[in-house]
Amino acid sequence: MSERPVHEHLKELSDVLVQLSDKVLQNFNDSLQAVTTQDSQLARRIRMIDDEIDLIEVRLEEQCLAFLALQQPVARDLRTVVTIVKINDDLERIGDLAVHIIERMPELGKEVMEKYGFEKMGSVSTSMVRRAIDAFVTRDKPLAIQVCDTDEEVDTMHRFVFKKVADAMKSGTSNTEQLLAVLSVSRYIERMADHATRIAREVIYLVTGEIVRHNEDTFEKLIQSLKD
Amino acid sequence: MPMTLEATETKKSKDSSVRDIYLPPERKKVSGGGTAHVSAKNFSIYYGEFEAVKKVSADIMSKYVTAIIGPSGCGKSTFLRSINRMNDLIPNCHTTGALMFDGEDVYGKFTDEVLLRKKIGMVFQKPNPFPKSIFDNIAYGPRLHGVKDRKTLEGIVEKSLRKAALWDEVCDRLDKNALGLSGGQQQRLCVARTLAVEPEILLLDEPTSALDPKATAKIEDLIQELRGSYTIMIVTHNMQQASRVSDYTMFFYEGVLIEHAPTAQLFTRPKDQMTEDYITGRFS
Repeated sequence: MSERPVHEHLKELSDVLVQLSDKVLQNFNDSLQAVTTQDSQLARRIRMIDDEIDLIEVRLEEQCLAFLALQQPVARDLRTVVTIVKINDDLERIGDLAVHIIERMPELGKEVMEKYGFEKMGSVSTSMVRRAIDAFVTRDKPLAIQVCDTDEEVDTMHRFVFKKVADAMKSGTSNTEQLLAVLSVSRYIERMADHATRIAREVIYLVTGEIVRHNEDTFEKLIQSLKD
Repeated sequence: MPMTLEATETKKSKDSSVRDIYLPPERKKVSGGGTAHVSAKNFSIYYGEFEAVKKVSADIMSKYVTAIIGPSGCGKSTFLRSINRMNDLIPNCHTTGALMFDGEDVYGKFTDEVLLRKKIGMVFQKPNPFPKSIFDNIAYGPRLHGVKDRKTLEGIVEKSLRKAALWDEVCDRLDKNALGLSGGQQQRLCVARTLAVEPEILLLDEPTSALDPKATAKIEDLIQELRGSYTIMIVTHNMQQASRVSDYTMFFYEGVLIEHAPTAQLFTRPKDQMTEDYITGRFS
């Protein structure tokens, strides 16, 4: 059965979201690269692309709102549009994180990035977002759950960096400005993983119709994480 | 004159930064459309003394879909029927002002109403196929206009049924009585019958109000298919339908055209308070 025009339009909106995610992830990876190589030209480009991301985010939201107003979708069509709006927001915020990372460029460099394992941390987080988007495209709940589970791995990496920075600060011999920048970058990457988890949870909502934010398990995990 | 669709579609596209990700507009542009196909200027319609449509001035854009909404008795059907002079059949009905179709006065002294209705076809609320075969229903109009050759007629019938998205369902029973079709199929047959005489404009007067949701969806999809080839005007009581299928919407209230704007604009940020109240269900 061929697609109805309304469903084709919905698919086009989903496609835009996927393209936006590619752009956001590329920019995020570039930001880590730029800091490592101290490439100020790449940094400038990252800012420009972030402006594009902002513009696309607004326009995609406008399109989704128009779709809601004009088509009055229900059931999975409704969940799809709502999910696109939410993921769109997450992607825009990830875009901002790339710029935040660039802002810490002066205090950082190749040695520091390697010392704190940011490449690995960034790669795990990027993979989480990519898999969450794949789960959105294929409506794959098990994959979305996997993404949620991976968040803990990035949290552990963040805690590792936090502890290392705290130790260095206690020793009193290190460059405090640099340590604060390290902490910030670690937090930005960890936040990206949080956004990936949010996207994955939205996918679970899309597939099942069930909102899985703030369930007991999540709360327990958070408490446990604070205790650790 | 409503804001053009193009303006809403490409509001920000002049910004080169979005060029690598294509954002689909809520309504796609139609090539070769967007000129005034029907123009009303201070156009009023009277039933005797009663002014049913009051000094309407509006341009209906070619090849786009225009929906007319408004409460019962607001003059929307009267306005629609005036475009191919169906109101002539009502005693005491007369008009003032101007109504132009392709630059010609619809109510001019020398206007040929039969030719006018060939160019401006109409589909009504209730499907009304003739009690004849499916083939004869479609061939009726062309025969009336002098087409006699069987092969030509067969070509017209197939083409019209295909355009009306009905061919696949009826191609093996063209000789069967059209009254044996379902309500939704009968309505698409009426659309096909109208298309058979190659009109420029399709007037649809509440074409789905007698149909179930599945048949309604088929008619709505058909309107989307025909958009771009014909200028379509649809009167509907169903505001959601208007928002789903149309590019422009006209809101009538007590015979007055309150607002005429691109549908995406009218349903998301209407300019007139009365429009806003009506589409949000705040009826006084």
